[in-house]
Amino acid sequence: MNNLAYKHETFRDDYTYRNSPDAIRRFPFPFAEDHYMYSVNIEQHQPGAKGSIVEHAFDIDEHYVSECEDKLITLGQDKGRYAALPHMMDAQWDFLELSMESLSRDYPHLFTLTKDGERWTWRNGPLGIEDSFVFGDAATLPLEPFEYMGRQVQGDFVLLDQREGTLFADAGFITSQADWSLAFDVGMSWHEWHGPVPQVEKMGIMDRALKFLMSLQQGNPVRRLNWTMTINPRLDTSPEHFPEWGPDKLKVTAQNAGEKAHLRVELQTMFRLPRSNAILFSIRCYLISLEELATYPRWAKRFHRVLRDLHPDLLEYKGIKVYHEAVLAWLSQHDDGAELALGAHPE
Amino acid sequence: MSALNVIVSNIELVADGIRHFTFIAADGGELPGFSGGSHVVVSMPAGNRTYRNAYSLLSSPADRSNYQIAVRLQEQSRGGSRFMHEQVKVGTRLDISWPVNLFPISRVGHQHILVAGGIGITPFMSQVHDLLRTGAGFELHYAFRSPRHAGFIDQLKQLLGNKLVCHDQSQGQILDLHALLSRQPLGTHVYVCGPDGMVDALIATAHELGWPDAHIHNEEFLAPPVGEPFTIRLRQSQKNVDVGAEVSMLEAMEAAGVDVPYLCRGGACGRCELEVLATDGVIEHHDHYLSDAEKGAGKKIMPCVSRAKCSFIELNL
Amino acid sequence: MQHGYWIRSKPIYHSLAWQYKAQAHVLLASGEGGRSVLRLYQQRLPDQPVTVLYLPAENEDYSAPLVTVVGTSLQVFPDARELWQRFDQVLQQSRMGTRLYAAGTESFLWQATTLAVKHGVLNADVMREQPASLARPVYCVHCKTTTHGVTTNIAVCAGCQRHLFVRDHFSRRLGAYMGLMIDAEDPGNVPDAEEVYP
Repeated sequence: MNNLAYKHETFRDDYTYRNSPDAIRRFPFPFAEDHYMYSVNIEQHQPGAKGSIVEHAFDIDEHYVSECEDKLITLGQDKGRYAALPHMMDAQWDFLELSMESLSRDYPHLFTLTKDGERWTWRNGPLGIEDSFVFGDAATLPLEPFEYMGRQVQGDFVLLDQREGTLFADAGFITSQADWSLAFDVGMSWHEWHGPVPQVEKMGIMDRALKFLMSLQQGNPVRRLNWTMTINPRLDTSPEHFPEWGPDKLKVTAQNAGEKAHLRVELQTMFRLPRSNAILFSIRCYLISLEELATYPRWAKRFHRVLRDLHPDLLEYKGIKVYHEAVLAWLSQHDDGAELALGAHPE
Repeated sequence: MSALNVIVSNIELVADGIRHFTFIAADGGELPGFSGGSHVVVSMPAGNRTYRNAYSLLSSPADRSNYQIAVRLQEQSRGGSRFMHEQVKVGTRLDISWPVNLFPISRVGHQHILVAGGIGITPFMSQVHDLLRTGAGFELHYAFRSPRHAGFIDQLKQLLGNKLVCHDQSQGQILDLHALLSRQPLGTHVYVCGPDGMVDALIATAHELGWPDAHIHNEEFLAPPVGEPFTIRLRQSQKNVDVGAEVSMLEAMEAAGVDVPYLCRGGACGRCELEVLATDGVIEHHDHYLSDAEKGAGKKIMPCVSRAKCSFIELNL
Repeated sequence: MQHGYWIRSKPIYHSLAWQYKAQAHVLLASGEGGRSVLRLYQQRLPDQPVTVLYLPAENEDYSAPLVTVVGTSLQVFPDARELWQRFDQVLQQSRMGTRLYAAGTESFLWQATTLAVKHGVLNADVMREQPASLARPVYCVHCKTTTHGVTTNIAVCAGCQRHLFVRDHFSRRLGAYMGLMIDAEDPGNVPDAEEVYP
């Protein structure tokens, strides 16, 4: 069982975020091979191994309370991190239903949902929340349904409306994004939204991924992993606050990279929602410092090779270029060049 | 793909040749929610073969205690509709797919015109519940040959009042598409389901009046047409599958234990697209999904409705 | 401009052309867009009623030739507020099959589109031409102000005075390109701006 003794830690200022040995062990290391190239890499989001990050529909871990507190700080600074266009109200209730039903089923000791017809009562133990409301009547909740539950589940969420032969990002709750702006992107179609992704167009991957998602079925959610790097364990690496976190990128050295540089892995899950026919795109962020990563030597070796041979466009897009050399220098100490078996497992 | 196990709890004759089935979950619980315009694919085990047909869900999406479908007995039935009419009784257990929506109401539209011809009323039955719930502006135009052919008419009159406009052909009431489509405010969307002739006429009229494509929606599920027998060669799995005259390629592959993904089984959604590597004949494309250029190129096929006039066709599967 | 890859959110504009299958035509133009309307009138005229709403700009006033060519279908407006008010009324009264055309600066094109979208029109339903200047509206992601008429790859935000790098990433809802602080990593290190959107 994942250790749910919540830690009090910060994702800004003094950055006290750390992973326990358990959390390191279950970290979703994304590289099964020494070379990385963008791919669709989608699989069914069926319950995975006990204790793993994919055991349940939504993963709640030791960082839960601190991460939810960090969401509130970010929202307090910038209301634009939550946006929902008016035609997305059915999708908002779909999200509330899916998240409440999943959390109360998968973590019954933490969350409970009781229903008396349309009268629902929600209890969130770790955050000390209890509310009764009428399902479908937004006036009976303290916030819009999507924002209400977006604050209580780790990760970022986008609701996609399906029309005109594509998907539109018409609502979002985004406080831990890898450098994209909800305030700017909300309302965009699939291809507009992914416009800045390099090396991808020519392979037609976005077209294939769109086609796949448009025929995503209720009851058959899917998932994939994506990754980037972040300096310091910061969730809010938004373009809005770039002036706050951008300068940190120039402070990475071969000496401090192990502590400062983090691998940031996103578990992306996609669900077809029932009432709205919308798609929920959930982006759950996992952060691990290079030092923590190197507690499993094969991970450090593999990550060294992936970063060393990464396509220059991807280095640029992921914002790694400015500290690439420092990170490689740190990682190279941990790479003896020994051949590694296929697979992303820790040992 | 996971299936839902249901039990037939009620059967009624609602119009000439149209049976109305009610399904409840076999485990006695709630069925999954859905959105207006959704269908399910019903698996029908008839002897040594299984038919799978898509049928629109008719009930209110808010009611998860049961699902309802309507099946018209097709005169040239390959067997699916005959199975539903002759073999299925109250208490019969069936497997159905989770609901899929390929005919949704546009949530950014300001006004919605629904046009149904005969049995084409079925996808609108659930949509009107969603439209009433959200308070969107809409009209349902229902054209039928005679009151005997007008399934669900009493139910619709009661639910919709003056939002329902009937066009009873036996009374000489002809739906004037030009008049209807020329008086709609900006931001209107039109939806049509019915006989081919009606769908084609509506689309042509809308285009002539300058309606942009994205405001015109139609649902055309095809039944797989019959043809001549041929053989499928599967390159990756190294299998040969014989396709009978009255069986679709998809059904033949399923019967041979080949797993092919699908959603609509009616040539509309594109999910079952397969790559054609070779054939000694010509592909007969029957789907609405591939572009004319793609059909002409002969590199892709939708096995749910399309087939080939050939002795063999080789697929990359 | 960004090298290496093309950003697919960047809109592509076309020369206006009559959509002959229609119930009516509404043209909206500002400044140099007047010339686009004149050019459109060189083509065979459609049979359906046409309405032209025109907003002259300083040094870009085609009212006189438009009066001659367009005649009574033309309405010229002294200021933007009145133009948008009238356009709103026209949209309110229009039926499906009314073809919409816009010509002018990029800011103008997307103000027109945004207003039409409020009436249930889809982005793709509006035909747009950008006749002269490539000047961009730029949305500052930091302070959320849009600066209009940007002709350089780096511009000073009218709201927060930061130096913004103008990305090719475009939001149709905001009608603007994304501007991102260029010296955020290394404050004070601002490269020289170049005029790339004259």
